[in-house]
Amino acid sequence: MAERSLEGWAPVIGRDATLEDVVEAAFDYRGDVTIVCHDGRRLVGYVFNRDRRAPEPYLELLEPSGAVQRLRYAEVAQIAFTGKDAAAGRSWEAWRHRRAEAEAAGA
Amino acid sequence: MSVPLSQMWAVGTYVLKQRLKGRKRYPLVLMLEPLFRCNLACAGCGKIQYPGHVLRRHLTVEQCLAAVEECGAPMVSIPGGEPLLYPEIGRLVRELVRRRKYVYLCTNALLLKARLDEFEPSKYFSFSVHLDGLREEHDAAVCREGVYDIAVDAIREALRRGFRVTTNTTLFEGADPQRVREFFDAMMDLGVEGLMISPGYSYSKAPDQEHFLRRQRAHELFRAILERPRRRWRFNQSPLFLQFLMGKRDFECTPWGNPTYNLFGWQRPCYLLQEGYARSFAELLETTPWEQYGRRSGNPKCRDCMVHCGYEPTAVDQTFGSWRGFRDALVATLTGRL
Repeated sequence: MAERSLEGWAPVIGRDATLEDVVEAAFDYRGDVTIVCHDGRRLVGYVFNRDRRAPEPYLELLEPSGAVQRLRYAEVAQIAFTGKDAAAGRSWEAWRHRRAEAEAAGA
Repeated sequence: MSVPLSQMWAVGTYVLKQRLKGRKRYPLVLMLEPLFRCNLACAGCGKIQYPGHVLRRHLTVEQCLAAVEECGAPMVSIPGGEPLLYPEIGRLVRELVRRRKYVYLCTNALLLKARLDEFEPSKYFSFSVHLDGLREEHDAAVCREGVYDIAVDAIREALRRGFRVTTNTTLFEGADPQRVREFFDAMMDLGVEGLMISPGYSYSKAPDQEHFLRRQRAHELFRAILERPRRRWRFNQSPLFLQFLMGKRDFECTPWGNPTYNLFGWQRPCYLLQEGYARSFAELLETTPWEQYGRRSGNPKCRDCMVHCGYEPTAVDQTFGSWRGFRDALVATLTGRL
């Protein structure tokens, strides 16, 4: 089965998970996230890249406008998984359900 | 085997040149994804699950051509997403053909008939139609009834107009070898130039996580399908790769062989895994920790992978990189035995 979705998760960094782990989860997530920076900036978009091994680890975010924002890990205060998880597998489940119904009707 | 001689020659001389230059890592096929959007949502696909604003975006033709020039591979495969949803697909293909790249446009064929006028037949250009089996199996794999019939109808029309058409087939757990053989027969009857087959990769984001083949099971399945190949079957891929699928050869993955370029840049490390992006092809080659990938690395994500994008480059490198490999490929090609 598909893994449990992180949709709606808003971890407190340092208490619920480390910053690095939350960035990894955001990078793996197939939906938009909302990032709050230490300077108060609030960015919404899709985290498509990150480099945790860089001298200054960073992530890259594609905003709905098409702009790409590169943020250093050190700038990130919070990441919330606010967008819909596109990999939640609902279309597959619906298809299986329809197929099962059709097979039952034909049986 | 059905790869045209001119294409074999182009690839063979390219591989030899790379070896003479002493290049340890070189690309063979650029996987160019101009968009992620698709008009199907297949159960085994992990390529299209993105937010709407990402799905609505696509590369420009100029970005695509710059990636092709930068990479230098002799072949370009255009998957996606569904490339026939790309507004400028006709211009993109024309530009690639003008550069004498061998182009495979991987399509589900739902829009093929409607957009066929935008293309011109060429020895450099082939439609590679996604068909995972006969009607029942294919429609189940793509989660929509009627797709097989639309694809077959479009293939007929493309062939009638003189286009090269191949098929690409991904097999999953539960595939019936006899039905797959019947499918190969049906495609030969239809007149396609060649077949391409591969086991599916267990994308973590694919909706169906239950039917991906493990390695031993994949060997058993492909042996059952290919042990006694019919003379009339033509494959558009290396016979050494088919022998690898059957468990007759032990290959290691060549993850840089089919590099992937898309909206986010150059994908690390390969077409299947998404572990980050490089801004240039040179950066991809130079900074990806390649030793962490492939079966021998122990990476669990690579353990069961036998997909063509990693292993076909190995097979081609062995074919044109050693006399033994060349001899084995030649014998398989001439005798039809795998």
